[in-house]
Amino acid sequence: MGRFKNNKKGRVNVKPIAMKKNNQANVDHVTGDKIPKSFVFSRTKLPASVKQLQMDLRKLMLPYTALSLKEKKRNTLRDFLNVSGPMGVTHFLMLKKTASALSLRVARTPQGPTLTFKIHQYSLASDIAQSQLRPRCPPDLFKNPPLIVLSGFGTQELHLKLATIMFQNIFPAIDINTVKLSTCQRLVLLNYNKDTKLIDFRHYSIRLQPVGVSRRLRKFVEKHEVPDLRNLQDVSDFVTKAGYGSESEGDEEGATVTLSSDIGRVNRGSTKSAVKLQEIGPRMTMQLVKVEEGLCSGGIIFDESENGDEKIAKKKQNEDSEEEEGEEGSEEEEGEEGSEEEMDEDLE
Amino acid sequence: MAKKKEKVVDSGLDTIKSMVHQHSEFFDTLVELIPARFYLPDETERKWFPGLSKAQKARAKRKTTENLKKARRDRLDPEKSALTTLDLLKQKIEKEKKKLSNVVAEDDDESEEEADHKKAKSDSVTYEELRQRLHRKIDELKGGRGGSERPRSHEKRKKIVPNKRKREKTVEEEEDKAKLDVEEAAKDLTYGYVKIDDDEEHGKGSKKRRLSKSRELERALKLEAAKKDPEKGEVIAKKHSWQAATSRAAGIKVHDDPKLLKQSIHKEKKRQEKNAEKWKERVEGQQKVRVEKQQKRSGNIAERIEQNKQRKIAKREKKLMRPGFEGRKEGVINDGK
Repeated sequence: MGRFKNNKKGRVNVKPIAMKKNNQANVDHVTGDKIPKSFVFSRTKLPASVKQLQMDLRKLMLPYTALSLKEKKRNTLRDFLNVSGPMGVTHFLMLKKTASALSLRVARTPQGPTLTFKIHQYSLASDIAQSQLRPRCPPDLFKNPPLIVLSGFGTQELHLKLATIMFQNIFPAIDINTVKLSTCQRLVLLNYNKDTKLIDFRHYSIRLQPVGVSRRLRKFVEKHEVPDLRNLQDVSDFVTKAGYGSESEGDEEGATVTLSSDIGRVNRGSTKSAVKLQEIGPRMTMQLVKVEEGLCSGGIIFDESENGDEKIAKKKQNEDSEEEEGEEGSEEEEGEEGSEEEMDEDLE
Repeated sequence: MAKKKEKVVDSGLDTIKSMVHQHSEFFDTLVELIPARFYLPDETERKWFPGLSKAQKARAKRKTTENLKKARRDRLDPEKSALTTLDLLKQKIEKEKKKLSNVVAEDDDESEEEADHKKAKSDSVTYEELRQRLHRKIDELKGGRGGSERPRSHEKRKKIVPNKRKREKTVEEEEDKAKLDVEEAAKDLTYGYVKIDDDEEHGKGSKKRRLSKSRELERALKLEAAKKDPEKGEVIAKKHSWQAATSRAAGIKVHDDPKLLKQSIHKEKKRQEKNAEKWKERVEGQQKVRVEKQQKRSGNIAERIEQNKQRKIAKREKKLMRPGFEGRKEGVINDGK
């Protein structure tokens, strides 16, 4: 008996789902909505730092993303589309590096709109951690999805409105009645600057600290470290000694909240706690450049180089609406039509 | 005495020279032993072979084999002068010298001015200025956070126990300012989706009845026709595309492409036909099976009846199986009067 080689060239090699621990539900059993999942990948070859950025973005989107998604050169967008259906993936985040610019495309899968952002500057998560004195990464930081805050987008301009809705839908909704406060540990902030039309992208980790407690007591309760009582006459000295408040305590008067329940040892319910944000994760400055109707195809309904190109965009749109039926998604097939190549995926 | 010293000095110089000469000869012989391609860095840019196409790769391969053959022939040819490693090294050094001399000739004029500038800079910047600059920078960065004008950290540290009354006042002022800032900022903030029971989310709550696909197809065709309308077509098209994009981004499915709708209608029809066929086959099969069973059953029953009858006849006839007689009395041969 000879060895038979599996000669079926052009077959997608997707691991059957039953073999792995796929313990992710498609539907949130609390809210009843579909949980949005995403793929972060790139179609072109990326330089090393951009690959790191891609990894940082994947970590950001955890837990509802494929952390170790492997893509081969032969995989076209079609392949990803075909696999996303059964797996319930709703968003694609695609990084693309060309000679002129680095761009991030956020698209909604079945035939959704594509927003193209041009990244002017970015910093990697490792750089930010190095720049900090005490970088913070608790073990279960990436077990829950982050919250999202958008600022400065307004409700007037259509493309900004579309961007807000897009970002709001990338992360699952939270149900006030059943959410546990301890699961809200991360925050993604997008700030739109009207003058420069740039969007700042930041990623923070949330930490709660009780207000009004002296530093020594707080540290003692949090860490249970035996304090140094050498120079004190009496335990009361330890408890009542006035220390400097933390330097930034005056700053954050507006950032205190009254918790509804206890979180951890230190923050008790119905007492004031300060919300402290520490930056983790990548930092980007981007600009919304293009909005397309289809998934990297279809008519362009918004273009940043607006004033000159509005007419061109409209014309193209009219032409496209005639041809759209014939060419949805066919623009991405670079000479390999419909062939599905090898692709390995691991869903976390 | 002086002459002797000179001689000694001269001979000392001579010995040093000869020693240096010997050393350099030794190193030269060593260098000559090493083939040139290992000793000198290769300055030609290598082609990246995996990235070339088939034709290009074949060409490059041919070229390398030709080069190899040529090099081998040249090496073993006694008439052609072989450049030893040493010669190549000397050539390289000469090239670099030329470069340096060119560069030096250009920079000579400028370098003097630069040196002057630098000196001037370093003199003027004193320690105090640097310190002030640092504080200014820190203030800028802290001010950028959006906090109010509070006493800065380095200024705070001058007094360890500040005047308590003053401190209270400033704290109150800070609180008010912070509240104002927060209010202003909160006007323009949007958050992620939060599910509250009474509110309904953007568009998802309104679940109208799903239109049948044929109806949707009609709607889509109407829409397309409206888009082509010369007067308002563009406006309608634009409005529709924005609406569709927004609702798709929110997760609502928008069916506006007549071609896709036709395809799905077609598929559904085919599916229904197939199912109907399967059902028919199933029913037929069942019937057949039933009919067969019934036939078999009735056949079996008939057989049994027959057999029972036969048995009875046989039993009756058995009585008449006396020796000498077989069967029924059949009457006399010559019956009939």
